[in-house]
Amino acid sequence: MSRLSMVFWTLLVVASGFSTFMVKYAVQNIEDDLNRVRRHTVAEQQEIRVLTAEWTYLNQPERLAELNKRFLGLAPIATKQLQQRVEDIPLRPAPPPPAMNPEVGPIPVSAPAPGEPSAGAPPAGAPPAGASTPAESSLSVSLPNSAPASTAPISITAEIAPPSASVAPQRVMAAAMQPTPRAAALTPAALTPAALRSTAGAPVHPQIVKAVAVSHPGSLDALIAQIAEAH
Amino acid sequence: MSVAQPFEENPCRPRHFPPLPACAPVVPNERAAAALETCRARLVAAAAMFAVAFLVVALRLVDVVAFADESADPLRPGRAHVVALPPPTRADIIDRNGRMLATTLDSPSLYADPRQIIDVNEAVHAIRTVLPNLDPAELHAKLSSSKSFAWIKRRLTPRQQYDINRLGIPGLNFEHEVRRVYPFGDLASHVVGFCGIDNNGLAGIERALDTTVKTSKEPIQLSLDARVQFILHQELTKVISDFSAKGAAGIIMDVRTGEIIAMVSLPDFDPNHPGRSDGPQTAAAAADAKDRVFNKITLGDYELGSVFKTFNTAMALDDGTATMTKQYDAAHNIKIGRFTITDYHGKHRALSVPEIYMYSSNIGSARMALEAGADRQRSFLAKLGLLKPVPIAFDEVAKPHFPNPWREVNVITIAYGHGIAVTPLHAITAVSAILNGGILRPPTLRKLSPDEVPAGNRVISQKTSEQMRKLMRLVVEYGTARQAAAPGYVVGGKTGTAEKNVGGHYIEKKLLSDFVGAFPMNDPRYAILTLVDEPHGNKESHGYATAGWTVVPATGRIIERIAPLLGVRPVDESSPAITNALAIASMQGKRIEDY
Repeated sequence: MSRLSMVFWTLLVVASGFSTFMVKYAVQNIEDDLNRVRRHTVAEQQEIRVLTAEWTYLNQPERLAELNKRFLGLAPIATKQLQQRVEDIPLRPAPPPPAMNPEVGPIPVSAPAPGEPSAGAPPAGAPPAGASTPAESSLSVSLPNSAPASTAPISITAEIAPPSASVAPQRVMAAAMQPTPRAAALTPAALTPAALRSTAGAPVHPQIVKAVAVSHPGSLDALIAQIAEAH
Repeated sequence: MSVAQPFEENPCRPRHFPPLPACAPVVPNERAAAALETCRARLVAAAAMFAVAFLVVALRLVDVVAFADESADPLRPGRAHVVALPPPTRADIIDRNGRMLATTLDSPSLYADPRQIIDVNEAVHAIRTVLPNLDPAELHAKLSSSKSFAWIKRRLTPRQQYDINRLGIPGLNFEHEVRRVYPFGDLASHVVGFCGIDNNGLAGIERALDTTVKTSKEPIQLSLDARVQFILHQELTKVISDFSAKGAAGIIMDVRTGEIIAMVSLPDFDPNHPGRSDGPQTAAAAADAKDRVFNKITLGDYELGSVFKTFNTAMALDDGTATMTKQYDAAHNIKIGRFTITDYHGKHRALSVPEIYMYSSNIGSARMALEAGADRQRSFLAKLGLLKPVPIAFDEVAKPHFPNPWREVNVITIAYGHGIAVTPLHAITAVSAILNGGILRPPTLRKLSPDEVPAGNRVISQKTSEQMRKLMRLVVEYGTARQAAAPGYVVGGKTGTAEKNVGGHYIEKKLLSDFVGAFPMNDPRYAILTLVDEPHGNKESHGYATAGWTVVPATGRIIERIAPLLGVRPVDESSPAITNALAIASMQGKRIEDY
């Protein structure tokens, strides 16, 4: 009996000791992981701070005004451009029905999207039927900025050549029909925020650098270096 | 030894063997028994000591393995429980749209342990690829010294640190230091302020909210709008260059809440290196640097001139000593003591209150003030907060200067803004109160939540406030501030041109031209004050340096540019709703004379 209990207690001690160590090492490993993640977080936070500061630095109103002058030539909004609300803009008069246009028949459409006001691709040169409401037209106006393909008009024509019912090419075509080739030329990748940000890195748009060099240190690094020199 | 001895007789027989069964029990003698007892007791004692020792070791082992706090152990720094977060630094300062005005960046310093450097020449060469400005001979001397510590370069940029790390030279280490950085440079230098080398706030918000900035985990959001600030900054810079002025200042305030949307004082400085002026370090340069740090809006006491007629008229209308139709004699100059009060745009006839305000008649204003009396004037200005420093969480605020005792001659001059010097911040706060329906609220630089309206004191009635809006609109429509009329934004305001008092004398050629206005006047949202210090007339202004030709056109441009940003919609100024709201009955059908 006493031998049995001896064995029992011994096993218990060994087992509890073993499990204690197991748990301890497991916890240590988790703590190591946690510390690694924390260190990583701290480093990332620092990096975010630096990047935010750099982004802000590159977004100085003065610099943006300079870039605008150089690349865009946008003028401040005139008061008369603000006179009216969206509701005040009259609706465009309804276009003539498609039957009135004898030259081009309606292009067959394989699968009209539900809810799309006009499923048929409109004849070239005429305003798209889908753009008959102001809401639709404003949508297509805003798209050149967001559609990545819209910067290259050639690829657009290639895309719209086959009559397709998918929504995207229609919108792109509507964008291509905007009589503003200049706008398309003025939205190269060089002017996207990502490109502006990269002025600090190696691949730099030469013109932007030139613009920056007029009155500012080229980057936040240069600014900090300047501060360091001052002290 | 071939003869086998009987076991019992063998002297080498182990004693503890039990006796053979055939033997008689061994009866030890008494001595032997005592010796055995002693031996056993000693054995027990020794065993107990060892047991205790092992127990202690075992307990200590359990303690070390299971319970010890490892982070407290200096010998094991590698496995801290918690990674220490960066030391407490200053919180970011952001504008009302979240743009960063001030931030704290890690700015590591590079040092070396020369004893760990393996190849000095190679290290020097590698370091100089990253830091080409270092002197190679000096660097070589530092790295080959026998000491264990040598600074190589303080305050690296993040990129330099990265590049140095990439070199992978053993023995190079970084000491972490922090540095305050102002990405927008001089844009809001006077508001944000700057920090010293030890990162204590020395000016502006950095100083006023130093403890908050040091303890806050969240960024501190100011009421400032960086875009509006930029426009104000740009236009005032243009005013300075156009009129070769000494300085300029401007402030824009939300009249409903007292939030300061923009505050510019020119010339200004770059908070990234305050106190540094261009050119050689001379006494003049030092004075210039000091001049740049001076915040004209909160520290500059100025005699603002005719802008004070706003307060004078509001006082007379609110106290009932004057009405909108009441007329005052402006034909005859007032002589008091050795002074003669004259009009700049004299009309030489009796003028009604709106006419006095519109034509900026000194004589009429003086008569209104004399009618009200010194006590009324003094208590009204005190009510508007013009006789004590502005209550704002900002360290650099100046006390106003006003006469004591308050004599009759002071009553007269104060009526048109001379003999009392207040800061532009005073003036715009009081004008905001006059225009917002009559509630004076303390100005603030902290952004308020959208529905938060701070408590305020009523200083004039709603009716007087509405009358003052009409009067200020009149000045822009027909008076001295016509060039401030940004079309569509129903601007109203009052100009002031004061001769500067230098050493007790007013100097005719040294002017301070200012304008205080608001828009849209039918329901004022934003008040704006602009002033220019010692402007000189140019060709476009036909040689004039008065407010109407200097700051007023600039203010018109500013309003036109900032109103869309501030969400103020342009309206049709000739629409009946606007004209009826701002029409003055007594001026209807009257021919308004030109200047």
